[in-house]
Amino acid sequence: MNDSSSAVEVRRLSRDYVSAKRSHVLGRKTTTLIKALDDVDFEIEEGELFGLLGPNGAGKTTTVKILCTLLEPTRGQAFVKGLDVVKQARQVQRIVNMVAGGERMLYYRLTGRENLKYFAELYNVPKKDVAPRVETLLKLMGLTDRADDDVEKYSKGMKQRLQVCRGLINDPQVLFLDEPTLGLDVNIAKDLRKFICEKIVREQGKTVLLTTHYMYEAEEMCDRVGFINKGKLVAVGKPEDLKRKAPSGFSIEILATRLTDATLSGLRKLPFAKKVITTDYHGEAEGEKIDRLVINADSDKAVPEVLSYMAAQHCRVVSVNLRGPTLEDLFMLYTGEK
Amino acid sequence: MSTRVILAEATKSLKVYFFSSRTVFWTLALPLANGLYLYFLYLPFAAQSIDLQFSGANYRIDLIGFTLVGQLLYTFFTMMLLTGAAFEAERWQGTLETVLLSPASRIAILLGGALANALNYMWMLVAVALSWIAFIHVNILVTDFLALLLSFVLSYLAMVSLGMCLETFFIYSRRGSILVAWFQEPVMFLSGQVFPLQSMPAVLLPLSYMLPLTFGLIAVRFTLLGGATLLDVAIPLSALAIMAVSFSILAKFLVNYAEKRAKANATLTMF
Repeated sequence: MNDSSSAVEVRRLSRDYVSAKRSHVLGRKTTTLIKALDDVDFEIEEGELFGLLGPNGAGKTTTVKILCTLLEPTRGQAFVKGLDVVKQARQVQRIVNMVAGGERMLYYRLTGRENLKYFAELYNVPKKDVAPRVETLLKLMGLTDRADDDVEKYSKGMKQRLQVCRGLINDPQVLFLDEPTLGLDVNIAKDLRKFICEKIVREQGKTVLLTTHYMYEAEEMCDRVGFINKGKLVAVGKPEDLKRKAPSGFSIEILATRLTDATLSGLRKLPFAKKVITTDYHGEAEGEKIDRLVINADSDKAVPEVLSYMAAQHCRVVSVNLRGPTLEDLFMLYTGEK
Repeated sequence: MSTRVILAEATKSLKVYFFSSRTVFWTLALPLANGLYLYFLYLPFAAQSIDLQFSGANYRIDLIGFTLVGQLLYTFFTMMLLTGAAFEAERWQGTLETVLLSPASRIAILLGGALANALNYMWMLVAVALSWIAFIHVNILVTDFLALLLSFVLSYLAMVSLGMCLETFFIYSRRGSILVAWFQEPVMFLSGQVFPLQSMPAVLLPLSYMLPLTFGLIAVRFTLLGGATLLDVAIPLSALAIMAVSFSILAKFLVNYAEKRAKANATLTMF
């Protein structure tokens, strides 16, 4: 037990995986050490919704699994409500729960209601509370009408909503959401985000750690975010603070045709252009392929200079969009991902 | 350990793994088919009997009865081993981490699964035994029903507790089923299922006596086919009781150890 007032505290947390391979069936085994987490430190305050952002394989799920006691760290420590996740695992399990994206983690041959009752028993929910809690959760997630159908007959969105019910069955103080909207319809995902923010965090005051690689989701939901890349936590803070500190204040998004490598390298040499990247864009203008160009610049005054340079290079600009930094820009900045 | 967890686990396991007409059909059909195969195989020797010896006692019993009881208990033993592997099913359907995310007693979860297996296979055992008695002539000689009942119950408890020990491998590794498969042939040979134990080379007997099936077969054959009393089967019954307790304690230790190792080696959530 530690005395920190934080709901979650992670200190120099590291997790290595050993990957073993043989060149052929009878070949010698060679092992490679993969550092999934490397000296990660962060804290989450009571009632805070903290987003852990990063590309695939960055270490987000590993962090969540360690915090909810499913995995032991190789080095370092982690505490939930002051309890050590390794030494006091059973106590931690009583006060946390986890919801992951995808369609696993439920019994398909049980009904929605039977699933929730089963997990209520595993968490030793007081007998008198089981039925009312199950009904409340089913109602909250709009599943009452289908509660007695086998889960195998549920749609993907319904399964995910039932997963959220399961995650709340023990009334956890800290909830871990590992990409909870993965593969959901836009409307269902939006409702789920609203439910998490309004009901779970604001009304019930629960602490939530959310991992996602949808930046708009993090922007919409999180009080603070941490960017993780290749096992290292590279930035932590409130989204607006991080944006303010972003090295490039403005982002100029240009859709254009006839964009050549020479034009790109010329743009990169312009004094105000901090970073110039191109991303895939599916579209054509007058039979020519459109490219999407994002230029990070210090000032909005860069726009006319960029446009005149591109005109001189015979590029055809289709649209220009000037905006301040977003989490997506920060994501690209911190992780090097497009 | 919570009774609520045991009951919840048993209820869930029965519905998820057993409550389908296909499962019920095969649970009955396979041992029945196997029994018929053995019956016709041994029919030419139907008039013959076989001497069974254990700890100074000697019973002359019907050869077909000997074979069918051996087959029935062996099938039951295998099912306990294989279907006791509920954690493997949890792993494949992606619910293992959800179960182990909870603070529920792991041994209670194992016991719940074992209870479901008991309810499921006990009726199979009874149904197949009754059908054999009805359609196949077996010389049954029961003088002590309590001894017979205890022979079945203690055999079951000892087998299930061994199954719980093996089940812990499924928490640690997704390759646990290989281990269980490796068990089957040696068990068939060592337990005296197909030939009397006195024919076993002496050097292998210590291994035979480590198996609950060995003592289960002695006790059930003696009480069902030889007319043995409780006193006559006191040694195998005591051995079964000791095994049931020891394997249960070992399972409790192993399940926690396997979970800890799986968390350290990151094998808990592998599919």
